[in-house]
Amino acid sequence: MQLLQDFVTTLQFLIQGLGVTISVTVIALAVGFVLGILMAILRVYGNRPLKALAAAYSVIVRAVPVVVTIFLLYFVIASIVDLSAFWAGSLALGFASGAYQSEIFRGAIQSVAPGQMTAARAIGMSRIKAIQYIILPQAIRLALPGWRNEATLVLKDSTLVFAVGVPEMLRRAQYVSSRTLEPFLAFGAAAVLYLALTLLTNYVLGRAEDRYRMVT
Amino acid sequence: MADQPIVRIENVRKAFGPTQVLKGISLSVYPRQVVVLVGPSGTGKSTLLRCINLLGRPDSGSIWLEGLEITAPKVNEDKVRQRVGMVFQEFNLFAHLNALQNVTIGMTKVLGMHKQAAHAEGMRELERVGLADRASFYPAQLSGGQKQRVAIARALGMDPHVMLFDEPTSALDPELTGEVLEVMQQLAKEGMTMIVVSHEMSFAREVADRIVFMEGGHVVEEGSPEQMFTNPVSDRTREFLSRITDPGQDEHK
Repeated sequence: MQLLQDFVTTLQFLIQGLGVTISVTVIALAVGFVLGILMAILRVYGNRPLKALAAAYSVIVRAVPVVVTIFLLYFVIASIVDLSAFWAGSLALGFASGAYQSEIFRGAIQSVAPGQMTAARAIGMSRIKAIQYIILPQAIRLALPGWRNEATLVLKDSTLVFAVGVPEMLRRAQYVSSRTLEPFLAFGAAAVLYLALTLLTNYVLGRAEDRYRMVT
Repeated sequence: MADQPIVRIENVRKAFGPTQVLKGISLSVYPRQVVVLVGPSGTGKSTLLRCINLLGRPDSGSIWLEGLEITAPKVNEDKVRQRVGMVFQEFNLFAHLNALQNVTIGMTKVLGMHKQAAHAEGMRELERVGLADRASFYPAQLSGGQKQRVAIARALGMDPHVMLFDEPTSALDPELTGEVLEVMQQLAKEGMTMIVVSHEMSFAREVADRIVFMEGGHVVEEGSPEQMFTNPVSDRTREFLSRITDPGQDEHK
């Protein structure tokens, strides 16, 4: 009984970091989404230098460990401009996720039938309008399964901002562990919370997928 | 025929890589005319059609649309395309939009119409092709013939001055071609200027004002359906038309 009670107490303590974990994840996903879509468009429709730029971003960022990106942003950039650990960590995660998301969206854009662009141009749409109203709405729907996976990865990667001292759930778990010397309890509770969050995210995005799936 | 031509093509050439597809095509189409382009596949008929709305650019030669040279530099191609409707062999309906939205998206996003006005106008266009009751259906829920009729409505929604049809019935099951051809015939009756690439010889015979026979990147011969079918000048025309007509007629019985 005592064990269960300790477990619940630990959970309650960790849950106070839930808001931070969710905020970091949502910011990172949003930043990554904007960057990812933009880079994917450049990869597919850009001229040569822009294509190369977008490709370089994707290759380089995906080759660097996310923690390194976080450290770079926090210790280098944040020493120049005023950036809290929270924002440095979230933006770095978003910057990294943008590279992965650009690959997801690039594939999706390329799998939209070429006739869609032709038909859009034929009714007088500019290239940009055609991308905005015809290509992207389809590409984003096609990208949803891959994006759902990326969302859960970013959720779990949000633990990495703990390296720069952001008080998210894992950081709190470590605190509990060092205070109580009960690592199993502390990290077990963290695992349970992450599992629940991941399942929930998967469920919600799965519903969105069903709802917005194109009729085929 | 005292009018100015609505489309005038002069000595248009186009190559894809080393392959010369159009070898100096000249052709004039007058308002309210229906011109049917026929000829063996790979002759450049579709390429020519795509040049008329600038989906493809000629390497040399000129094209005028209503007196404006659209092949001149600095012509706004989006504006040109708004005046030229195009219907594709593969329909190319926007997959994420229902039938009505397919028709209205150009009205709202290109012409800047208000949603409600576009909705009303879009329903009118769908009615015109007999599909008002399918307004909320998505492309995947429509038959091939219905898809092509929605595609026609989508093009008509932009109020084009010329309509281009690129083998509009070639991707359809034979029993579905009739409904599309009927809509096209109706359009012709209403006075729409139409340039049609098609192998539907009965349609060409009944609806065309002029048939243009193309082969190997050239216009071999053009004339009224009667002349082309009964008394063509060129042996090649005679050969092609008789070859394509006889089996075709059997099919349509």
